[in-house]
Amino acid sequence: MPPRTAALWCPDWPVVARRVRDDGLRGVPVVVTERTPRGERVRAASPEARVEGVVTGLLRREAEARCPGVVLLDADTHVDAAAFEVVALAVETFTPRLALDVPGRLAFPTRGPARYFGGEAALGARVLAAVAAAGVPDARLGVADGGFAAELAARAAAPGRAQVVAAGAAPAFLAEWPVAALGDPALADLLTRLGLSTLGAFAALPAASVLGRFGTEGSRAHRLARGLDPLVSAWTVPPPELAETIELDPPVEQVETAAFVAKSLATQLLARLDRLGLGCSRVTIEAETEHGERLARCWRHEGALTPDALAARVRWQLEGWLHASGGLSGGLALLRLLPDEVAPATGRQLGFWGDDPHASDRAARALARVQGMLGHPAVVTAVPQGGRTPVERVRWVPWGDPREPARPGSEPSVRRAPGESPPWPGAIPGPSPARVFDPPRPAALLAADGVAVTVSARGEASAPPAVLRCDALPGGGGDVLGWAGPWAHDLRWWDGSTRVRCTRWQVALVSDVACLVRVARTEAAVEAIYD
Amino acid sequence: MPGVTVTVLPRRDEEARARLDHTAQHVVPVALAGDQVLAVPGELGALLPGSALRRGTVVAVGGVVGAGATTVALGLVAAATAAGEWAVAVEGERTGQLGGLAAAEVGVALHRFAVVRGVAPARWATVVAALLDGFALVLAETPPHVRAGDARRLVARARERKTVLVVTRAWPVEAALRLRAEGGHCAGLGAGADPLTGRALHVVVDGQGAAGSSRTGEVASGPTAGLTAAPTAVAAD
Repeated sequence: MPPRTAALWCPDWPVVARRVRDDGLRGVPVVVTERTPRGERVRAASPEARVEGVVTGLLRREAEARCPGVVLLDADTHVDAAAFEVVALAVETFTPRLALDVPGRLAFPTRGPARYFGGEAALGARVLAAVAAAGVPDARLGVADGGFAAELAARAAAPGRAQVVAAGAAPAFLAEWPVAALGDPALADLLTRLGLSTLGAFAALPAASVLGRFGTEGSRAHRLARGLDPLVSAWTVPPPELAETIELDPPVEQVETAAFVAKSLATQLLARLDRLGLGCSRVTIEAETEHGERLARCWRHEGALTPDALAARVRWQLEGWLHASGGLSGGLALLRLLPDEVAPATGRQLGFWGDDPHASDRAARALARVQGMLGHPAVVTAVPQGGRTPVERVRWVPWGDPREPARPGSEPSVRRAPGESPPWPGAIPGPSPARVFDPPRPAALLAADGVAVTVSARGEASAPPAVLRCDALPGGGGDVLGWAGPWAHDLRWWDGSTRVRCTRWQVALVSDVACLVRVARTEAAVEAIYD
Repeated sequence: MPGVTVTVLPRRDEEARARLDHTAQHVVPVALAGDQVLAVPGELGALLPGSALRRGTVVAVGGVVGAGATTVALGLVAAATAAGEWAVAVEGERTGQLGGLAAAEVGVALHRFAVVRGVAPARWATVVAALLDGFALVLAETPPHVRAGDARRLVARARERKTVLVVTRAWPVEAALRLRAEGGHCAGLGAGADPLTGRALHVVVDGQGAAGSSRTGEVASGPTAGLTAAPTAVAAD
């Protein structure tokens, strides 16, 4: 059975963190938004805003509409992390073995402190009282077998209260929760479609079948649903020589400088663990100031830590120490990363030859450098999606953002199995043009008598096109050799402001240039060239 | 005990990894050739000397707008990504964007292909130089009036980094291979009946040195199956 664990959860931590920093935000509705691939969404909202109907995941515009006068703030993980140090300090007076998860969440084993303070419920009440005294009255605490059950218990607890799930009762407690609680949206979606809507239903499946059907990830989720900790036997405490230490001379006072050093330290540590075939899920960050003060804090991560994730946590922790009450007495003289739990890395199986495992790292570094020069949106990658025209059928995603199509029907036409996704009516058939103009280039599509070609409301052309003129074409255009179309597109006819009504033609000129021409009213434009 | 080979299980550390690398280098039959060239499959490859691009060289792809130069260049990108390598393209400022769908149809693995946009001519050489460090193939559209000195520096950098630099439009200095697209008949397009079904591009290849002789050939450009939509059908979103 997993060890008894307590999880502390501060709901809407980003809002609480801002209020700790700025007293003027207390008592007014506050919403913290973050930029996501699907627009700017609400990440956290204060109770005042929630009363008005603001929920997590709402569009920023919608949140403003539901709650007029709301204070909108951008998400900033560094602020969240720095403010959470106050909570960590308060909990630390009860147990030294706490591990931070992300800002707003921490966990600690209860075996020792629960005996000392007279039971888990009493310990929970004391911890919450201490956290409330530190200025966070809304925290919740859950105690259960293992971290996952404890976290869900914390979510089920009343504000400012502790919820204790008795030893051995974790499977029964978990059974009622929806599968979305596993924190894996793709798996949860699949399970729901298979008719397994609760963790109890999922847990009832035989473990071997789950491993066979869903792989190691699914097997891990299955262990969680059954109230067992994943890999509970595999994680071991590493020998002390795995620690990476760096002495800073002269002592460092700036977070930026220390974070820079921490990044290389994190890379070193993980490279060394990697050589030993180990992955790390918990790491203790230790620092010493020039006056001999010693600080240490443990951070936990689902799965194995990557260099970037570890460096971000070190940075959060350093900001926390520097901004905590009183701050540090002097600059940092020593920084140490101590892996707290390691396990054999079962991660990626690389090819024996042929595939260069470093190629993606090298490419990512070069692109990051170019993004630094030209800005984040300057480097993009194409994601095919549904649509009718060449411009619509590709979504360009900035490098580093999730590659997700905005419209369904994403598979390019060449690879689509028949009947897999419904076709878009009126899509331009044939090969796609290699050169696309967005916005289109103004052009003139003329009939043999020199009059611009127009299309009637029924989609009938006034005359066959005979001449196409456009600056983007070699020689400024020329006579039309062949053509196809028109494809009439009447888009969003229900919305007067965004309605688009136009026709598209494929036109080949006598100079063997083929292009895609769009005609709206009487104005023509070249949208793409089959280059 | 002389003469008896003591075999111990290798520890899971640098030593074992070094042995694995060493073994891999010796047993892989195509490592040497594969390190030096990027194989180009298909009709386009048949036109190239050795059906491959030599790493560290510059390939200039020319042709007037609409003659198919972009498709040919994307074909080279597809060859790189098909070999598991990463590729990147630098777009010109006002000459239109690459068609992402066309790239996918030619065979480019889009998750290993990035596009850099909005590069001012003044920073073009710096950006391309930075990209040459990280990619196996860089496709760059030459801005007008690029300095010959900058171009030579890029040639040297590509040679040093063993990266294929594919440049389109006017390239002011020497290139190991020059491809020129000369257009081709647009199959299917007639008097309003059928849409474009495909195109046979006429490509001329000129090389330096061993690849000296000029070759000419036809390259079919992306015939796609699927998507059938009758023209003049009114679509509603």
